[in-house]
Formats: sequence, C-alpha cells, structure tokens
Amino acid sequence: MPEPRSINQNNMTDTLPNFRNLGVILRIVLLVNALALFVALTQATSMQDLMQRTINGSAFLQPVLLSALLLLYLLNDILARMPYRQGATGVLCAAALASWAIAQLGGELFASPGEYGAFNLWRYVALSVTVTALLLAYFRLRALSLSPALPEARLQALQARIRPHFLFNSINAVLGIVRSDPKRAESALEDMADLFRMAMADNRELVPLKREIELSRQYLALEQLRLGDRLKVSWQTQDMPQDALIPPLMLQPLLENAVYHGIEPMHDSGEITIKLYRSANEVHLDVYNPCQPLGKIHTGNKIALSNIRERLALQFDIEASYSVDAGENYYRVHIMIPYVREESR
Amino acid sequence: MNVVELPLAVFVVDDEPPARNRLKDLLGDCAEQLPLTLVGEASNGVEALDKLSEVHADVVLVDIRMPQMDGIELAQHLNKLHKPPVIVFTTAYDSYAINAFEQRAIDYLLKPIRLGRLFEALTRARTAVPVRSEVLQELTPEPRKNLSIHERGKIVLVPIEQVLYLRAELKYITVRTVEHEYLIEESLIALEKEFAARFVRIHRNCLVAKEEIEGFEKVAETDDSEAHWAVKLKGLNELLPISRRQQFIVKEFT
Repeated sequence: MPEPRSINQNNMTDTLPNFRNLGVILRIVLLVNALALFVALTQATSMQDLMQRTINGSAFLQPVLLSALLLLYLLNDILARMPYRQGATGVLCAAALASWAIAQLGGELFASPGEYGAFNLWRYVALSVTVTALLLAYFRLRALSLSPALPEARLQALQARIRPHFLFNSINAVLGIVRSDPKRAESALEDMADLFRMAMADNRELVPLKREIELSRQYLALEQLRLGDRLKVSWQTQDMPQDALIPPLMLQPLLENAVYHGIEPMHDSGEITIKLYRSANEVHLDVYNPCQPLGKIHTGNKIALSNIRERLALQFDIEASYSVDAGENYYRVHIMIPYVREESR
Repeated sequence: MNVVELPLAVFVVDDEPPARNRLKDLLGDCAEQLPLTLVGEASNGVEALDKLSEVHADVVLVDIRMPQMDGIELAQHLNKLHKPPVIVFTTAYDSYAINAFEQRAIDYLLKPIRLGRLFEALTRARTAVPVRSEVLQELTPEPRKNLSIHERGKIVLVPIEQVLYLRAELKYITVRTVEHEYLIEESLIALEKEFAARFVRIHRNCLVAKEEIEGFEKVAETDDSEAHWAVKLKGLNELLPISRRQQFIVKEFT
C-alpha cells in the first residue's frame, strides 16, 4: 500500500543546494572567505600580519574553492538525483578530492618549508571537509527556515483561490444566474471545479506557464460573472515564451489581489494589465491594476505576496526577483524568474 | 375592525448584478407566502439614496462591501429619511462585521442567501426598528465618506473632503463647504472621533480641516474679547477663533 504522502515529505529541505545557481555559488564563496578571514584574525598579531596570513591562506584556499565549485557544478545533476545522505557524502568527497589534488599539484608552493610534511596533506583535506560540512548544514538550515513557505503556500493558495470572499460570492453569483441563464451557470461551475482542483493539487513542481495562464483566465471569467463590465483585462502575451515553466500559483494570486483591492472598490471600471515576456534568460510577469486614490492601504494582500517572495527565494535564490510599485492610483507587481524550459528540466 | 396590511415594500442594493438577481428570484419565492412588492433596486449607495427619496421601502437589503459607499454608510444616511427603512445587511464574508452584528443583534444574511433565512428576516422586519446611526458607526473602523442632510424630502450628501469646518451651534452643527452651509444634528465629539484624520479642534465648538488651513492671524484685543489667534481657511474670508487651550496648534501647523 502506498504510504500517504505528507506535504512535508520530499521537501526542499531534503535536497542539496543547486550548485549551478548563482546565489548558491556566491554564498559559498563569500562564506568560505569570511571564515578564512576569521581564522586569520584569531591568529594575527598585527594588521600587517593579518594581511600576510590572509594572502598566504588565499593562495591555497582560492584554487581549492574554485576547483571544488567547478567539480560540484559538473556533478550537480548526479548529486541532486541521489538521496540526501548519499548526495551530501558525495559533496564532502568532492571537496576532499579538490583539496587533495591541489595540495598534491602545488604542495611545495603552499607548505611552509620544514613544517608539517605529510601531515599537511591530511590537514588540508580534513579542513576542507569540515568547512564543506558546515556549509551543507547552513544550506539545510536556510532551506528549513524558508520551507514553511511551501506547505503554507498550498494552504494560502487554497485560501487565495478559495478565499472565502471569492468562494461565497461566486456561488451566490452562480445561483443568481441559474434560473435565467443555466448554460452560463454550468460553465461557471466547471471553471470553479478546475480552480479548486488545481488549488488542492500537489503544487511543488514547476508547471507550464501556459497552464497557469489558462487557470488565471478561468479565474477571471468567474470574477467577470460577478463584476461584469467593471472588470476589464488586457493580456499582453505576444513575447511570452511558449515553453517556459513557472512555480504554480504565481500569477493567479496576483490577479486575485488586483481584483479584490483594485477593481472591486472602484466605482468605475478598471483594467488589469498582465504582461508576460522573456528577455534573454529571464521570464517576466507583470501585473498592473488601477486603484482608488483614497483606497485603503494594501494590507490584506501582504501575506499572499510575502509567501510568493519566499517561494521564489527558496526555488531560485537570487536568480529571481520580485518588486512592487505602489503609486497613488495604481499598483504594479513585477516578478522575474530564470527561464526554465519544458524539456531542459 | 379589519386592517388590511399593505404588502411589504422591499428594496435591493448590491453592486453585483447576479447577486441582485438571486435576491429577486428569492423574493419572488417568498411572495407566495408573504405579501411583498419589490419597489426598486440600486447598484450603489448614491443611486439607492436617490431612489429611496422617491419611493418608500419598509425593508432595504444592503450589501456591505460596495464601491464608493459601503452598506454601513448607506444605512446611516437612510436613517435621515422621514420613515427610515429597516436594513438587512447581506455579506459573503466579513468576519469583522459579522461579529459586530452578532454583538448588537443586527439582522444580516450570509451569501449565498437561503430562502428560509430571507423569509425569516422579512417576517421579523415588519416589527423591527431601524438601528440607530451611532450603533451603525460602531460597526466599522472606517469613517463615512459623506455627511448627509435631509433637505426637502431628499437626502443631500456632502463629501467629507469638501467640508472646511464643523461648528457646533446650539442644537445643530454647521457644516461649511466653500459654497454652502448645512445644518446637521450630530455630536461634535463623535464627529471629531470619526474624522480624526481630517479635522483638528481649534475651539470647544469648532473643528477645521487640517488640509484647508491657509494660515493664522493674530486678532487684536477688542471690548468683548482679548487678543487671540484665528485660523484662515482656503476659500473662506471668515476667521475662526482659536481658544486659549488650543493655541499650540498654531505652532504645529506653521
């Protein structure tokens, strides 16, 4: 019998960092160098001594660091497929191998004459394995601290899509047309079923951008049923990459915010503009909505938006960006994520 | 003696057309057992006030979340009518308001609206008394967007951002805009609390709009008053005296 899958199972916390991600690489380089500086600082006797020690250390440290990173970059896909423990062991081995090789190749250069001898080689390997283990622990902790965003995202996506306000108003609207326009009521119920199916599905994997758009259109059709001409939507998708993948439930919650905080409180009609386009290796999502100048400050949507931000940080680290531009009478959210294609996954 | 009861006059206010449809369908169903007539409908508060100045309704079904003017503000303005209707609020989801309604035993209907609940609410409405405006104001943290005055059978709305000052005079409060002066029957203290964001008190009997302050002038001593500061408001020639206790605002606003 298959075990019931908890939403925490196989989470991001149980995967190694993506060694091909710029953010991960930067974090490693900075942390290792900070650590080296710290070690030099504990032993230094003067400013000059500190600099000397740092330079000496760097001469060995940088080649080891860079070769280890290169090795991990190459092995990334293989390591990622292994169970966490084996993968982690693999990473430690790669670090050991890199330091051993550098020490062997240029050992004479680094060892102070007459000191340590063979012990030196062993010492280098031990040090780099320890530092690597510390780094792995750091990445795991970081993932842990961000990962509540995942199950929470599902919950909130669920609440965003089944935001009580939306759910009950939609049902009421369907009831309102059921006698006069049964066909339209039917298709509205079908749209609702699709939305809720998606919201209740397992949402960890990236999904085709096209599918998210389809879903967003169904969502907007339901809102249009209630709001009629007051809600206008303009899709600008001509420069959209047809094969892009995005994290699920990125676009729809943004639209829901735009409707709830932007269009609904407006007396006149308002137009939501959704722009999707690719530039080089980035996919951009841009949602713009007008809002009432005297409107309340956006408070309700902070949770949904900060959740999207956390999920982006967890999935793409610094390779994704997220920004809000709130003007007097408009609100714009812009999301940039790396261009991941369907087949290159 | 045989008293012929007039059918219950019902009016529907909701910004969403399908929601109004739903209510009309259900009212049709109720009409089979309870004599009632639908006297009109409106898609926003201003339209509702206009129409309800013309026709009388016994019961108004009001959606809470509407653009421009929410249902709770609408209810406060409707209270100024000669024969204020009984309001039954409708809402899909608004935990804040629902709690408040429960506490004050104010009738409301949850969307999707059930025939049974609507029927009960309409039956009760015959004998119900309209909720007082002060109680309605407690229902929401939001100040009203308009003040309202009953003038010759009509409700006149004065957008709060047009009001320059509010001054208590005997029984009434003078509401001053650039062009007009109106009288309302409300308490200055309650108004000060509700519109704290817009007005500042310059005197025991007077609140002025902060944004409209043009400057301050020192008024020289006369026979019946000592020297004091006064406020000059944009677009008004009148000088409004500042009481000694409120002198500090001269520094605050210059």
